[in-house]
Amino acid sequence: MSSSANTVAMGEKRTRIYSREAVLFGCIVFLVLFVLFTAAASRMYHKTIHVLADNWFDQGEVSFRAGDIKSALTDYRNALVYSPDNAKFQFHLAQALAAAGRGDEGRSYLLNLLSESPGSGEVNLALARIAAHKVLTADALRYYHGAIYGEWDNDPIAMRWQVRRELAEYLLDRGLQRQAVPEIIALADSTPASDTEQLRIVGNLLLKAKLWTRALDVFRTLLAVNASDEAPLLGAATSAFNLGRYSAALDYFDKLPEKDRTAPGIAEMYKTSQQITEMNPFLPDLSREAKARKAATAVSLAATRLQQCATQVGQSLTATPSQTQLQKAFAESKEFTPDENWRNIAKHPEAVDEIMGHAFEMENAAAAACGEPEGADRALWLFGRSRGVSAQ
Amino acid sequence: MTEPTAVTSPGTIPPAADESVNSTSQSGIRAMWESWTNRVFTMREDRFFLFLAVLIGILSGLAVVCFRIAIEWTQIELLGSSISPTFPRVILAPTLAGFAVALLVIYAFPRARGSGVNQTKSAVYVSNGYIPFNTVVGKFITCALAIGSGQSLGPEDPSLQMGAGIASLIGRRLRLSQEKVRLIAPVGAAAGLAAAFNAPISAVLFVLEEVIGTWSAGVLGAIVLAAISSVVTMRAFLGAESMFRVPPFRVAKPADLLAYVALGVVGGLASLVFLKWLAYARPRMQSLPRWTQHFQPAAAGLLIGIIGIRLPQVMGAGYPIIDQAMHGQFTWKLLLVLAALKILATGISFLSGTPGGMFAPSLFIGAMLGGAVGAIEQHFFPALPGTVGTFALVGMGTFFAGFLRVPITSVFMVIEVSGNYTAILPVMISSLIAYGISRSYVKVPLFDLLARQDGLVLPSVEEQREQMILTVEDAMRVDAALVLERSDSVADALKRLEGREGLLSFLRVRPGEWNFIERSELHRFAADTSQSHTVEEINSKGPLPFVFRDMSLEEALHWAGDWPALPVLSRADLSKLEGLVTLDDILKAFRKVPVR
Repeated sequence: MSSSANTVAMGEKRTRIYSREAVLFGCIVFLVLFVLFTAAASRMYHKTIHVLADNWFDQGEVSFRAGDIKSALTDYRNALVYSPDNAKFQFHLAQALAAAGRGDEGRSYLLNLLSESPGSGEVNLALARIAAHKVLTADALRYYHGAIYGEWDNDPIAMRWQVRRELAEYLLDRGLQRQAVPEIIALADSTPASDTEQLRIVGNLLLKAKLWTRALDVFRTLLAVNASDEAPLLGAATSAFNLGRYSAALDYFDKLPEKDRTAPGIAEMYKTSQQITEMNPFLPDLSREAKARKAATAVSLAATRLQQCATQVGQSLTATPSQTQLQKAFAESKEFTPDENWRNIAKHPEAVDEIMGHAFEMENAAAAACGEPEGADRALWLFGRSRGVSAQ
Repeated sequence: MTEPTAVTSPGTIPPAADESVNSTSQSGIRAMWESWTNRVFTMREDRFFLFLAVLIGILSGLAVVCFRIAIEWTQIELLGSSISPTFPRVILAPTLAGFAVALLVIYAFPRARGSGVNQTKSAVYVSNGYIPFNTVVGKFITCALAIGSGQSLGPEDPSLQMGAGIASLIGRRLRLSQEKVRLIAPVGAAAGLAAAFNAPISAVLFVLEEVIGTWSAGVLGAIVLAAISSVVTMRAFLGAESMFRVPPFRVAKPADLLAYVALGVVGGLASLVFLKWLAYARPRMQSLPRWTQHFQPAAAGLLIGIIGIRLPQVMGAGYPIIDQAMHGQFTWKLLLVLAALKILATGISFLSGTPGGMFAPSLFIGAMLGGAVGAIEQHFFPALPGTVGTFALVGMGTFFAGFLRVPITSVFMVIEVSGNYTAILPVMISSLIAYGISRSYVKVPLFDLLARQDGLVLPSVEEQREQMILTVEDAMRVDAALVLERSDSVADALKRLEGREGLLSFLRVRPGEWNFIERSELHRFAADTSQSHTVEEINSKGPLPFVFRDMSLEEALHWAGDWPALPVLSRADLSKLEGLVTLDDILKAFRKVPVR
C-alpha cells in the first residue's frame, strides 16, 4: 500500500475514532446525568410511596381498632400496594382477615411470613388461632408450639405463658383433656408464686382439667395472700370436695358469702359436704356415742337404699345362694343388722370402721345396680369413695 | 499483538516543556483518556459490541426505572393512591387520559402505537435496526399516561421497545456496521424487558424466541450482558424483591400434577378466545374512519372506567391484584369474573390503539384463571396439594404460553417472577397443554398475526421452529460409491465398475483425504496396455471437502457445486465412506420439502 493510501486510511480511521470517541463520551456524560436524575426521582418516589404506605397502614390501624374491619382490610391492602414486602403490613392484614372470618385468606400471608421467619412467635400464634378457629387441631398444636418456643420481640416469657394458656384453653374447650394436661402442668410450673393473677388463671385451668391436687395447692397459695378472696376460696372448696376432703371443702365453703354458696353447682357440693361431715364418724374429737350414732345411721340409710334398689330392679334380696352384688351386699348386711343399733356399736368402737365399710359397700352395690344415688345416699356413697371404697 | 499507543488528536499542540504543574497534570489526564479511548476503539468490533451491551443495559435499566416511577406517579395523581379509586376519578381519568394519548399518538408520536414487540421486530427485519428516538420518548409518555390512568395494559412491551430504541440510537451514533446496528436493537430489547420484569433469563429467552428467532452465539452474549446489567441497574433503584410472593408448596405425588392438566386446558381455551377475538376485531377497528382514532382510546378508557366502578381490579397493569389473588384473597367466582373482564378490558384498550403492553394483562388473566381453577379443584378435592396461590402462579405461565406462544419463556418467567422453583413441573405441564391447544386452533402466533394485519411479513419464529431442517442424510446415496485404494490397479477398478453406470469412484488417499476419479480417466489409463497402472497415477480431483450425515444440507450446498460429488464420512472414522452426495441430490431433497 502506498504512503498516500496509508494516510487516507489513517485519516478515515481517525475521523471514525474521533466520532466514536465523542459519542461514547457523550454517552458516558449522559449516563452519569441519567443516573443522578434517576437516583433523585427514585428517592422522591420511594419517599412518596413510604409515606403513602404508612398513611394507609395508620388508617388501617385506626379502622381495625374501631372495629371497622372492612375499611381496615382496604387500608391494609392499600398499604401493601406501596410496600408489598412489608412483613408488618402483611401480618396486620392477615390478622384483619382472620378477624373478618376469612382465616384462609389471612393464612396465605402468614405462611409467606413464616417461610421467611419460621421462628416468629407472632406469626405462629396467628396461624395457630386460624387453625384453632377451623378446628384443625394438629395444625393448631403445631403452630401453638411454634409460638411457645418461637421468638418474641417484647416480653417473651409473658407471651409464651399467654400462648400456652390459650393452647390449654383451646384443648379443654375441644375436650382434649389428655393433651391439655401437660400444657396446664407446664403452665403451672412456669407461673411465679407471686403473680396472683396468673395463679388464678392457672388454678381455674387446673380445675377444668380436674387436676384437683395441683389446683388446691394453687388456691391455697392464693389464699395465703388473701384468705377472704372469694375465687380462690371457691376453687379450693371445689378442689377439696373433688379430692374427697369434705371437711376441708366445707371449711372453704363456709367462708364464702351466702350468695356464692347458693349458686348453681356450688349449692349441691356445699350441701353434700355438709351431709358427709354430718355422717362422718371418723372426725376427731367425737364421743364414742356420737360415732356409734353416725355409723348406725349410715348403715340404716344404706340398707334402705339397698331394699329400694332391689325393688326397683325386681331382685329378691333373700335368694340363696347370693348371686348379684345386691344380694351379696344384703347377705352381708344381715350379719350386722342385729347389732347395728348405736348402743351396740358404742360398746365396740373398733367396729365403726367395719360397719361404715359395710354401709359403703351397700351404697356401692345399689349405685352399680340402680345408678348414682341422690341426697343423703349420694353423700354416703361419695364419702365411701373418698374412704377408698372403689366404685363398682 | 502490538500494544496500543496514544494517538494525539489532529490539531493538538504539544504542551511546552516549561508549563506549570497544573498543565502537566492536565496533560496526564488527557493522556490517560486517550490511552483508554484507544484501548476501547481499537478493540475488536465484537468485543466493543459486548462493551456497548453493558452500556445499553445500564441506560435501558435507568429508562425502565424512570418509566415505572412515571407510571406509579401518574396513577397516584390520576386515580388516587387507593386500589379502589373514587367515582369521578375512575371514569374521568382513563377517559381524559385516553383522549390525550390519542392526540399524542396521532400528532407527535405515531410510532408509539401498539405494544412494542412487533415494532422492534420490524426494526430488526425491515428497517435495519432503525428505531427513531422519538419513539422511545413517545412510548414513555403515552404508556405512562395510559397505564397510569387505568387502561388495561402493561409496561413490559413498551420497556422492550424503549430499550431497543436506546440501543438503536447508540448503534447509529457510533456508526456500527449495518449488521451490528440491526442486532443491537434486540440487545436493547432484552435489556428493557429484563428490567421491566426483573427477570433476566425470561427476557433473554423471549428476545431469542420471539424477536430474533435464532440462538446466534454472536448476539447471545451481548443480550445476556445487557439483560444482566439492566436488571442490576433496576434493582439498585427499585429493589431486588421478586414480583410476587407465593406461599411455599410442594408437589408430593406425581398424581398431584394431574390437577394442573385441567388448568392447562382452561388456560389454552381462554387464550384461544382472546386470540380469536383480537384477530377478528382488530382489522375491523382499523377500518373505522380515521377521525375515530381521536376518540378510540378515550372510549376505551370510558368503558374500562365503567367496569372499574364495580371492579377496579381490572384497571392498569394489575400487579398488586395478582399478588392478592396469589394469597387467596378472592373467591373462585370473583376470580373468573376478573379474568373475563380483564380479557374484555385489555382487548378494548389494545384494539383502541392505546400504546401499552400485553404481558401484564396476560399474566393477570392467567393468574385469575389459575386461581379460579385451583379454588374449584380444591373445593371438590380438598386433599389436593398447593394453594390457590400456587394455581394462580402456574396459571400465569399457562395463559402466557397459550396467548403469546412462548412456552419456554413462560416457564422461566414463572420461576423468576416468583422466586419459586417448585412450580417448574406444574407450569411445564399446563403451559405445554395451553400452547398445544392454542396452536391447534390459531395457526399464527399473536405478534405475527398483528404484523400480517399491518401488512408486514415478518419471519415467524414458530414457523421457523417447525420448519424441517434437511440434513445430508436426507440427500445422500449409500450404495453409489466405489472406494479405491492407492495401490488398486486401474484394470481392477474398471472391472468393479463394469455394469454399474451410476457408481462414482473415490480414492482414499489417507483418513480424511479423499479424491474423486472420473470414469473416463480410468478408461484413458486402461487404454494404455504397455504397462499396468495403479489408480494413484490417475489425475484425480481432490482433496474433496467431506461432509457428515448429520450436517445440514445448506452447509453441504456450499461445496457441492464445485465438486462432482462429496464423500459422506463417518465421524468416528474418517477413512470410512458412508455414502456420497451430489448437487443434484441436494436439490432433489430440497424440492421434496413442501413449500409453506
